[in-house]
Amino acid sequence: MEQKLYIRVLKYILVLVIVLAFFFPIYWTITMAFKPHMEWTSAAGKIFWVPNKPTFTNFTSLFQRKISIASPLASTAVRPIVNSIVVSIISTALAVVVGTMAGYAISRYRAGGNIAFMLLTLRMFPPAAVIVPLMVLWAYLGFVDTAHGLFILYGLVTLPFAVILMKTFFDEIPKELDEAAVMDGYSNWGAFVKYVLPLAKGAISTTALFCFILNWSDFILALILTDKDWSTIPVYLDKLQSGYVGKLYGPKAALALIAAIPPVVFGVLIQKYLVRGLTFGAIKK
Amino acid sequence: MAQITLDRLTKRFGKQTAVKDFSLEIQENEFVALLGPSGCGKTTTMNMISGLLKPDAGKVYFDGREMNEVPPGQRGVGFVFQNYAVFTHMSAYKNIACGLKVKKVPEEEIQKEVRSFAKLLKIENILNTDAGRLSINDMQKVALARTLVTKPQIVLLDEPLSNLDAALRSVMRAELKRIHLELGQTTIYVTHDQVEAMSLSDRIAVMNFAVLEQYATPDEVYHHPKNLFVANFIGSPTINFFKGKYKNGEISLEDFPKGKIQVFNKYKGEIDKRLKNENVVVGIRPEHLKLVDAGKKGEMLLQAKVVGSEPLGSETVVYLKPEGAVETIIKSIMESDYRVDVNDIKLLQFSEEDLYLFDEKSTELLLKF
Repeated sequence: MEQKLYIRVLKYILVLVIVLAFFFPIYWTITMAFKPHMEWTSAAGKIFWVPNKPTFTNFTSLFQRKISIASPLASTAVRPIVNSIVVSIISTALAVVVGTMAGYAISRYRAGGNIAFMLLTLRMFPPAAVIVPLMVLWAYLGFVDTAHGLFILYGLVTLPFAVILMKTFFDEIPKELDEAAVMDGYSNWGAFVKYVLPLAKGAISTTALFCFILNWSDFILALILTDKDWSTIPVYLDKLQSGYVGKLYGPKAALALIAAIPPVVFGVLIQKYLVRGLTFGAIKK
Repeated sequence: MAQITLDRLTKRFGKQTAVKDFSLEIQENEFVALLGPSGCGKTTTMNMISGLLKPDAGKVYFDGREMNEVPPGQRGVGFVFQNYAVFTHMSAYKNIACGLKVKKVPEEEIQKEVRSFAKLLKIENILNTDAGRLSINDMQKVALARTLVTKPQIVLLDEPLSNLDAALRSVMRAELKRIHLELGQTTIYVTHDQVEAMSLSDRIAVMNFAVLEQYATPDEVYHHPKNLFVANFIGSPTINFFKGKYKNGEISLEDFPKGKIQVFNKYKGEIDKRLKNENVVVGIRPEHLKLVDAGKKGEMLLQAKVVGSEPLGSETVVYLKPEGAVETIIKSIMESDYRVDVNDIKLLQFSEEDLYLFDEKSTELLLKF
């Protein structure tokens, strides 16, 4: 049935409002990153919707030590960026490798009985709830303020996700596929590596992206377990302020923009695997 | 090629017994069908033969050699699965070559073998296509080629045609028969479709609830079913059963209060000897049950009302109900141009030689007249 004109108009207006609500913060961050100091503070007494005099000062200030008001911190953004990349990549690799193998074992051999559900409940547990005992434990182990302290923890936190995602995927690959490989003369491990893993490429990339984003954007664990000389991007972002101007919104926006690059690039790279139909159509039933 | 012996195989899953005391002898080059309803333990039996499952009790022998501890890949068994285990991330060619690659066959030989089997299965033109993009029929052929190319001594086929549509199924059935004749491997074929079992196999093993009910040639299974289950499972439409009571050489049928079946005197002694009580089931195949308007003198005639008919082209199936009966539906196969109307009253005509007599309690066949 043809809808009445005003209903259609209202629908599109609603869609527009929602789209604006979602895209405005992104727009604001991008524009702010290129605004000079005068435009991102209230000093000028008006709002600049677009940068009047676009500049790269916000970006350069992140990487220069002690440049007046714009970068009052003792350290530049280099360390946090490197830390974030190293920690996120290693912890993601940890979670994905262990998660894939565990997911396969649980799916095929029912390993660990009810462990899949236990992992799920573990995941429902907010990390902040255990932050104090964790801090004590990490301090005792000497893991505070270290890269391995952080990536081991991130790996552990995202592991349940990885296991459950991979298990669900393996559940959908028919057992006959492994059995056919075994009949060909492969061992169970051989069948897993040669036949099942190539089919799981999509699921593994999706899981990896998921874990990577979680680790990359974590704030609370990094805040507690690191200090200002050894932090990740989210923590450093928070500390970008000075006594003179308060929050340094310009450099913050610039760093946020930089921080958005890896997940976006990762997402674009594995885009074809994100299309479920391609990965899950392994067998015609 | 190999001869297979299964010696009292038993497999349990938790509390459920999937296969119980299953014994079977399969000769070299024989084509045997494992026939039974879904969930009767056919696939479990196959998995034990292939080595994918270990039996809880019993032994598997190939050519007299015990196989229980031999890993699946070294048994010389090829397995074609119901959901064709075709690797969709590879081309058809690579799929077929898999088994040979594992066995480290030189590349030239692989190429030769793959081509020759592709020719046998008539899939030469799709060898370079991605397996994921094949039609279901071609996919099935790739799965078959994949298995056959390793030249297994024994081929296990687990409902390989059940995913195909009816027309393709009959084509593939003929293909399977041709391939078996050409290669001559010992073949076990799991199916719940009696037409496949009857048309393809040298012998049929009928299974029900984890147990082997009968193991015989298709003719034997059809004409001399061992018990009610086998009689009912084989044949389409299914056999007609009538409950009755046997007394002094006469059977009175529940559904036909007026009709009585006289048993020939020469069988009387045998029935008296084997039947413990008086409850029997009389069976007659639909094709042996003819409908007439008036009977000749001296013939056994029973009356029933038509409830429906299916003109199938080559034949007409008529469904009737004995008057007064609640559940019994009688099936009769008539000539292709035979037409009836619902509610017509017909007389059922059959000859004594076509009757089966079963013991109701033990369900065993007592006598084929």
